[in-house]
Order: sequence, then C-alpha cells, then structure tokens
Amino acid sequence: MKLLVTLWRKWFKRSHEVTVNKGLHQVELPDGEIVQVTHSADCIGASCPRPQLVTMQMLDEMESGDILELVSDNSTTVETIPALAMVLYSDHLATLHTKTGWRIYIRKSD
Amino acid sequence: MSKEPGVYVDLTVDEGPSGWFTQKENRYAAAIMALVALGSVWALLQDTRWVYLLVYVWFGLAYGMFLQYGRFCMASAVRDLFAVGVPRMAVGIMIAVCLYSLVAATVQVSGFNAFHPHPLGWHIIIGGLIFGFGIIFTGGCATGSLYKAGEGNLGSVLVIISISFSQAIFVVLGGWFDKFAPASWTTSALDKGMPEELSVTQGWFDLFTAGYVWDLKGSTLAAMLGVSNPIVASYLINSLLVTILPAIVIVVLLYAFYYRKGHVRREKIEQPVLKDHIRGIWSMVTSSKNTAIAGIGLGAFAGLHVWVTGILRDHYGIFNFGEMLADMGHKAGLSIQDTVFDPGYWYITTQEAQWGAWVMETMGMDMRDNIFFGLDNGVPNPLINAPGFMSIGIILGAAVLALLRREFKIKVPSMETVVFALVGGLLMGIGARVAMGCNIGAYFATVSNGDPSGWLFLLGMVAGGYVGVKLFNLWISWRVSRSDDFAL
Repeated sequence: MKLLVTLWRKWFKRSHEVTVNKGLHQVELPDGEIVQVTHSADCIGASCPRPQLVTMQMLDEMESGDILELVSDNSTTVETIPALAMVLYSDHLATLHTKTGWRIYIRKSD
Repeated sequence: MSKEPGVYVDLTVDEGPSGWFTQKENRYAAAIMALVALGSVWALLQDTRWVYLLVYVWFGLAYGMFLQYGRFCMASAVRDLFAVGVPRMAVGIMIAVCLYSLVAATVQVSGFNAFHPHPLGWHIIIGGLIFGFGIIFTGGCATGSLYKAGEGNLGSVLVIISISFSQAIFVVLGGWFDKFAPASWTTSALDKGMPEELSVTQGWFDLFTAGYVWDLKGSTLAAMLGVSNPIVASYLINSLLVTILPAIVIVVLLYAFYYRKGHVRREKIEQPVLKDHIRGIWSMVTSSKNTAIAGIGLGAFAGLHVWVTGILRDHYGIFNFGEMLADMGHKAGLSIQDTVFDPGYWYITTQEAQWGAWVMETMGMDMRDNIFFGLDNGVPNPLINAPGFMSIGIILGAAVLALLRREFKIKVPSMETVVFALVGGLLMGIGARVAMGCNIGAYFATVSNGDPSGWLFLLGMVAGGYVGVKLFNLWISWRVSRSDDFAL
C-alpha cells in the first residue's frame, strides 16, 4: 500500500509544471530591436488553458514596460496569446517558432 | 505604443541547398499522403463502390488540415472566453457555421442534402451541459482531440479511447440503471412494437430513445413554418434566420462583452460611435487570421461533403452505406435493418462509439440488443466503417500539416492529464449520447442546416463549460496553494 502511494506520488509529481524565471536577459527581436526580458515563464508540456492563465497572472504582476517571455509547445496557446495580449492592453512583440516550441514576447503597457 | 501586431518568425525551417525532401518532417508528411493515396487506389481496384467510403477519408483529411491550420479548438471557444476573456475561437466557429449554412442551403436547393433534423427536447441542453463540462477537463472536444492526436498529443489519444468506450457502455447499460427511467418511458417504448431481440424495455438508453426521443418532433425552421419554396426555405429561413442572424448577434455580444473595452482603449477613441464599433468588430473577427481562414475552409468543405455524399447516394441508388455493404457481402456489422451509421456529413462521436462497441463485441459481449447499435447504427468492423475513416482522416490530415509546419511533437501526458482525459472523456461520451451528437453533430451540423436544436446544444455546452472553468480554476488555485513556487 505504501508502495502504491509512493508510486502514485511519483507519477503525480511528474506533472508538467511551469517554471518562472525572473533572471534578466536580453533578446534580439526579428525587427532588430534588442529588448530586456524581465519575466520568463517556461510552459513546455503544459496544455491549455494553463499557459494562458500563467500569462494573465504574470502580466498582472508586471510593471508597465516590462517584457514577458513565454515558452510553450502548445499550438493552441500560441494562436491565442496575441489575442489575449490585446485583451490585456499589452503589446504582442513577436512569436518565434523554434525546434522545441515557441517563444512569445509581450510588453506590458500601462 | 505600437498598434502593429507582433511578428511571427519561423526558425525551424532551414531549406538548405539540398532541398525539401532532405528534411525528415517533410518526408514523413509526404509518406502519409502517399499511403492514403495508394490505399485509396488499392480500395478502388478492389471495388469502385469503395469511393463512397473514400469520400469520408478525403474530407476527413481536409478537415484535419484546416483544424490544425487554425488551431481550431472548440473547447477553447468556451474555455478561453470564460477563463481568460479571449473570443478568438468563438468568432471562428461563428464564421464556420455561417459559411456551412450558405453551402448547405445551396446543396438543399440542388436536392442532394442528406441532413436529418434532431428531435427537439430537454435532453439536448442536458447532454450539452455534460459535454461542455467534460471538454474543459480534456482540453479538447471530440474533434479537437482527433486533430491534437494528429499533432502527437498522446493525452488526446486517451480522450478518444475514453469517449469511444464510455459511449458504447452507456448505450448498452441496463439493470440497476433502468430505475432512472420514468415508467412512462417504458410504456411508451413498449407501444413502439420493436423487435424482440432489441429488448427495448431493458437498458436506460433504449428506454430513453424509444420512450422519450421518438415521441419528440424535430424539423428545420422552414419545415416548421411550412414554407415550400426551396429558395426561400433554404436561404432566407434555414440559413439566414436560423444560422446567420443568431451568429451575428453572438458576434456582436462577444464584441460588447469581451472586446469593446480593450478596442476603444487601444485605439484611444474618446467618444466611440457606431463606425468605431463596426471597425472593432472587424478587428475582432480578423484578430486571428488563421482561425478565420480555417473557419471559412471548414464551413465550405463541410457543405461540399454533404453535396458529394448526396450525389453518390443518388448515383448508386442507396439511402445508407449499409445497403452497399450488404451488396458487397459485408453483412456482419450491419444492424437488423441492414443499415450502418452513415450521416453523409461531418460527424464525430457515433463512429467512435462503434469503435468501442466493436472492440467489446470482439471480446464476446452482446452489443446488439439495443436500438442504437442493433436497430440503427450497427457495429461494423473499423476497416469498413466509413465515418470512422473520416475520424482517421482528421488525425492524418492534422499530422501532415503539423509535420510540414514543424509542430508535430510527441507529448506524453502527466498523470493529472491522464486522469482528466479519462474522466472528461467519459463525461463527453455520456453527454454526446444524451444530446445525440457532439459539438459537431448536435451543434455545427444542425444549426447550419436550419435546425434550431443546435443552439440549444450550444446553450447547454456553454453553461457546462462555464461551470467547468470555475471548477478548473478552483483546482488550479488549490494546487498552487499546496506548492511553494509558481506552479500552475
């Protein structure tokens, strides 16, 4: 029984969790602009609607002008984020499609 | 503040000097298409009548490609709206139903429409509620799970398996569950004089079908109003009144509740006038071009599908694929009326139920003592299940496009996703059977053919989705409260 519980916990813990990184790094956007990423969320493996909820929550915590980097491999999320940015009065700067998924950059405005 | 939308840059495709075929994703995509083409030729060489089945396959491929192209997730239509306030998918669906209804009206006028209206009753709302609640947890509706499976999402494969078996079991379930059926259903079911072997008085779903649904009436609005002029009936009543006007009202409501505030603020409009709002609605409709294009494509192809099947039925002089199968000597999977499930248009859940039932029958269970399989739909071998091939076509079409766009990725679900997929799939299966279809069969195909019952389904689905989103958010905040870091 104890083994079962441990196994269950182990499997349950294998859930895909979102890791948030507040380390700053610079990114060159496709239009040549170099921006300072202030918040970064790695949502690889997470499916809808989690990445959207993370984006909402993080943009809520951010200051105007801050830049969020969202990493996701969920195509539906990628399609929704630009529309979500509009609703949240933020600017969708770029979406980069990479081998592992997408990196989306959003600037919070006012 | 820039109003320009962000750029999308694809870093995955490096064409290189040696060309398109050197990249393995392109080779896989070409291999899938070649396999389907070769399989089609092989089937036609056996018997040209298989063209009837192949129509389902190729339309399935087209649906799969459009669904993947627009990331056309009907679950997110409800979920994104309530969870994050984004109307992208809801708008996409409205575009698709409008297009579908216009093509369907043309098909109706030309006399090749195979559509059957659904009986109108409370069951549609209740089924929609259960279904809408389920899709929030599975992260995709019945169709969405098919195209996501094509993108390599193994969690969606589990949803398909769960929905197949839950429907098959729900339909044959009897004994103790019969207590939930009112006595009036039993009396009414007995009156129908059904053949003994169906044992209609045993099994909840049989009682529900024969004792309740069969006593209900359903028709297109034009038929209800008794309009006989085909052009007025199809275009003005069934298409304009039943589909396009409600869709426009929904789009305007979506704008008013979810988009207007942001639009006015973004464009820095002080005193918005009607012109600004119309521009805002247009900006909402075009905010995701891929979704809008997919909506147009899906609507047009869904309409064409009805047409092509209608022409083929006319050509072969049949009403149902079962007659053709019987003629070809494949009688094993047919119902007692020699019919199989053959809607002639885009449909998802019933063929999945047949897959589940076929597996259970192969394991030795009796799946035919009921109306659903025994009288109507049969339990055909999946190899000759025509609508079943449409579902497989959707998976393959989505896989081809996902490979070409470098979006194919095998995703192993977490334990939480597995549980959600199985439980959500179970609810979706039950909801789809009670409402007699999913968001495709009971909503998309019905409203666009002038049958208002589909709006009832949508109402139920949206309400179920709303409750689902609230519960899902509670679950997430509970999980966050248990962990120290920001782990949604």
